[in-house]
Amino acid sequence: MSGLIPLTMREIKKWYRNPTFFIVGLLQPLFWIALFGSAFDITRTAPQYSYYILQGAPNYITFIIGGIATTTALFTGMFAGMNIIWDRRLGPLGRFLASPIRRSSIVMSKVLGATVRIIVQIFILFLAALLIPSGLILPKNFNILDVLIIAVTVLLIGIFFASLFSAIAIRITRQETIMGIVNLVNLPLMFASYALFPKNLMAPWIGNIAQYNPVSWSAIIIRTIIINGKLSQAQWNTVLNNFVYLLLTTLFVVVITIILAEKEIRN
Amino acid sequence: MYSVETYNLTKIYSNGVKAVDKINLQINEGEIYGLLGPNGAGKTTTIKMLTTALKPTEGSAKVAGYDIVKESMKVRMNVGIVPQDLTADEDLTGMENLLMVSKFYNVPYGKAKENIDKLVKLVDLRDSINKLVGQYSGGMRRRLELIMGLVHNPRVLFLDEPTLGLDVQTRSLMWEYIRNIQQIENITIILTSHYLEEVDALSNRLSIINKGKIVVTGTPEELKKSIGGDIVVLTFKNGKEALQATDILKTYKASRITELSIKIKSSDFSKDSQTILGILKESNLEPLRIQVEKPSLDTVFLEYVGRSLPDEEGDSDSRKMMLMMRRLRK
Repeated sequence: MSGLIPLTMREIKKWYRNPTFFIVGLLQPLFWIALFGSAFDITRTAPQYSYYILQGAPNYITFIIGGIATTTALFTGMFAGMNIIWDRRLGPLGRFLASPIRRSSIVMSKVLGATVRIIVQIFILFLAALLIPSGLILPKNFNILDVLIIAVTVLLIGIFFASLFSAIAIRITRQETIMGIVNLVNLPLMFASYALFPKNLMAPWIGNIAQYNPVSWSAIIIRTIIINGKLSQAQWNTVLNNFVYLLLTTLFVVVITIILAEKEIRN
Repeated sequence: MYSVETYNLTKIYSNGVKAVDKINLQINEGEIYGLLGPNGAGKTTTIKMLTTALKPTEGSAKVAGYDIVKESMKVRMNVGIVPQDLTADEDLTGMENLLMVSKFYNVPYGKAKENIDKLVKLVDLRDSINKLVGQYSGGMRRRLELIMGLVHNPRVLFLDEPTLGLDVQTRSLMWEYIRNIQQIENITIILTSHYLEEVDALSNRLSIINKGKIVVTGTPEELKKSIGGDIVVLTFKNGKEALQATDILKTYKASRITELSIKIKSSDFSKDSQTILGILKESNLEPLRIQVEKPSLDTVFLEYVGRSLPDEEGDSDSRKMMLMMRRLRK
């Protein structure tokens, strides 16, 4: 795996050196929080239902931050796949494939690079949500363990999406193809999930589908913790279940990506 | 022991195209070996197999003593590659690219730095090595590519069309660098090219490849001598005349090379011209144009491949290159 570290360093360098890419990546979650979070200000428009709809969250931003964090991971994860195709088209992939490094390290470096970006973006997202007026309100007994669970969840969902889109990109040679696929899967992943709306606002059929969506799992974990702080036994079970689903699915996707990369990647 | 040795190396692509057909090569250590052939002759496919990027369909090969299929990782550790395409990352500096590639080969930082400094000096890139590759000129990028294949002190270096699309001046400069590298590193270099002058200027020995097969092998001098005289190309008014002339000049090994022209061989055309033109005159034939080629790699090529390397091929390549560079600059 001697290629993994230098290639991941390359990804990170390329990210922070490209000011547009860097700033856009940071602005995007802020837009989500400032625009989407404020547009659906349910506590003002329907105060009598808000406690029920928002599952006890003091405002919509607090409710939705887990969903926005997950959506951010989804969008940034796409770039991992896109960058593989760029490397193929611009030439560096040829050099990597000719080197005595594991082929999976070429793909996994994209996954790690995107995951680092996702973690930084989500950190800034939380920071901004805390700072803006009527933004994120943390529960009283929010502690370091909660932060840790949220951090690991963000890490997993980041790896999940980066890995998924990388696996898709392994045999694709055209930018347009992956863009098409990304656009196709984005909407169902985002809207057939509990990321932006609670289940009880959704049509039953989509609400039922959404429970199998990894986007939902990650959003539920973060949301349950950030709304409640100290969890009841039932809430713990929800968090734990979703966490296990997310962990296993992520591991599965990573293993598939590594196998595909070793066997299928070529110039 | 040979540095590179192939036994009936063959590659048939999944679409049925036989790109390389039973190639046997024996390349000595410390040699600059040229593979010369028109586009699509199988040069790049051969290089790709020898550098383990492609698996051979049949046959086998040893590079630096290792089998290209069974010991592919060891082959990769011991060969350097300068592919036809540019491979450096534009968003990194030249130095960062070189250090990254060094890490692929587990070269410790101190040693890598020392080696890189030496190589950078060798190709005169010292002033721009800390600039982003995106700001390099075409010639600078080629020089960087050249040394990117050398950071791990390989024993065999593969150069695939190293001067494709470069202007004449930059090209001869690249030749100088390649010669210096060969001498200083005492490395085996395998060079593919469709520029005859390039192979003539650089290689100790060469093989001409056409349609996946080796047509002839030898030193440039041997090959030129093997022609045994001048090659004369006669162009006629129409195909009928050309056909007729081919028949008449059988004793001069006449053969059609295009619709209107034939080539004949003559040990010394300045003496034979009267006789040959006389024979033609008897049949009322008069060539529109007579070209005499003194033995050169051009004539060798003409003789063994049956046609010359068309000039426009080089031009379309440089156009392709320019387009690619433009795409890269975007």
